[in-house]
Amino acid sequence: MASNALGLFHDPDSALKAAGDLMSAGFERPELLSPIPLHGVEEVLGPKKSVIRRFTLFGGIFGAIGGFALAAGTAVMYLHPTGGRPIITIPPFLIITYEMTILFGILATVLGFLISARFPAIRERVYVPEVAVDKFAVTVLCEEADQFDRAEAILRQAGAEEVRNISEDGS
Amino acid sequence: MRDKDRQLQFSDVNDDIVRSLVVTGKNYYIALVTAIFVTLACFFFPWFYQLNYGIGAAGMNHPNVWGTYLASFIFWIGLSHSGTLLSCVLHITNSGWRKAMYRSAEAMTLFSLMVAVTMVLVHVGRPWFIHWAAPYPNQMELWPNFRSPLMFDVMAITTYLTGSSIFIYMGSIPDFAAVRDRTTGWRHHLYVLLSLGWRGSDKEWHRLGVAYTFLAVLTIPLAVSVHSIVSWDFAASLVPGLHQTIFAPYFVVGAIYSGTAGIVTVMFVLRKYMNFEHYITKLHFDNLGKLLLALSLLWSYINILELFTGWYSGTSTEYEQLRYKLTGFYAPLYWEMILFCAVAPLLLISNKFRNSFVPMLILSIAINIGMYTERFLIIATTMSRQYLPETWRVYVPSLVEISILVGSIAMFVTLFLLFVKIVPSISIYEVKETMETPKSKKGDAEWQATR
Repeated sequence: MASNALGLFHDPDSALKAAGDLMSAGFERPELLSPIPLHGVEEVLGPKKSVIRRFTLFGGIFGAIGGFALAAGTAVMYLHPTGGRPIITIPPFLIITYEMTILFGILATVLGFLISARFPAIRERVYVPEVAVDKFAVTVLCEEADQFDRAEAILRQAGAEEVRNISEDGS
Repeated sequence: MRDKDRQLQFSDVNDDIVRSLVVTGKNYYIALVTAIFVTLACFFFPWFYQLNYGIGAAGMNHPNVWGTYLASFIFWIGLSHSGTLLSCVLHITNSGWRKAMYRSAEAMTLFSLMVAVTMVLVHVGRPWFIHWAAPYPNQMELWPNFRSPLMFDVMAITTYLTGSSIFIYMGSIPDFAAVRDRTTGWRHHLYVLLSLGWRGSDKEWHRLGVAYTFLAVLTIPLAVSVHSIVSWDFAASLVPGLHQTIFAPYFVVGAIYSGTAGIVTVMFVLRKYMNFEHYITKLHFDNLGKLLLALSLLWSYINILELFTGWYSGTSTEYEQLRYKLTGFYAPLYWEMILFCAVAPLLLISNKFRNSFVPMLILSIAINIGMYTERFLIIATTMSRQYLPETWRVYVPSLVEISILVGSIAMFVTLFLLFVKIVPSISIYEVKETMETPKSKKGDAEWQATR
């Protein structure tokens, strides 16, 4: 049965080293759990790309078009001539466009964040509360029992203070 | 208790912040009950009285159709700019000193915006028609007039309220998770929901970092637009003293100025009463002091410019406006504002002053009194002196208006007091980022060799 090997480290550098060693030993991409964002993760585990920027861009474009359409469309639907000025008045409508661009840019960014980081979490995932305080953890999926032993050896070699066997459902 | 000289550890930060949430003294409850009582007695009671009696309960009457309600609205919107400036700008400029105080600054943004919105409800007289400002399909086929700055306001403030709520929430997710693990009962359930299942994995941190930076970049121009739009509510009218091109930057600078002063006040209170001496230090007061000094000089410059353009216009209405402002009925208030916002902040040149907590507190309160006066004068002096001398009147706020102003401050305090017990008021993970990370026990050399 598949389980996860979780090594707890006192410092981020040893955890990063362990993650790198596990990668070189042919394990699946390990995960690092930490109380702070770590620097140098990409050097060890490869570069990360996120789709958030695309969400922001398309949210912004949608907001811009929608904002202008709202202002111009409602002006056309309810004609309110004022002092000979045009019905579709560009400068004030650009302000509505601007605000809606930002509003939908923000909302789409949040949506992008939730989707790309897989929030809210529905299934139980590998976690130990120590990583929210002062410990750094490396977890790796082990399909078989001998894989766990190898992972444990690598984690201990890198300086893990403790190695735990956590089953797939997080218990 | 921790030894005061011992260096702060990661676990101390968790302990201190969780303690600030769950350990509550008698003084807190006294402050909360008082704030709630004052809000009810000074805000809601007079408001209901006004709703029952009619808008005549306020001192506003032709030509002074705007009064302290709108002055308070500008004031609270202005105060809300603190969070944006201190959090977003300092985030994208990588200023580490922001980390201990940005959460409270963002909370200030959110709560002052909420109070500002209630001031509009009080001002309009018939708040049950407030939904008319929203564009929704209706039987009469009526739509709002998007050419009006008031509609700009509706869109901008809605966006700002949404944006700042999301910004404070996103930045707090890792902290909700940290607190989730240490609490029980209803708090635990609340933080389980709020933390969304955060674990602190490298992927989660990466995504949060990207999203947070995008939000910061989007929020800065939003904040600038919000107060520019508020200024156009006034500048787009043809009233002498209001119809000025300088108004948008004038309002934005004033907003950031009063917001930063507000942050100094809040930081003092948090430091003293929440025992955050280790986190909010002289460095923060020193940096905020420098920021306040720069902003006060900019604010003074714009004030001089406003006087100059009035004089340079060469029109009798603008001259009368200037004369009235400098020497008329409201002149003592004008000179009080100059004293509090332009002269007194010059004390910030002194290093010693910036590094002293109590004088900084007094100055920050004085600046905000001055800034409220500024907003009051913008409305009171201009409305009182429009084109036709037979319409000239003096506006004095009624008891109802003064009471609602006091009540709005109490409402803000109530919201903030509730906030400090629910949301970690100092960012746990960002404070840890400013601390030294634990070093490898095996020694750096070995690690570096393998890298």
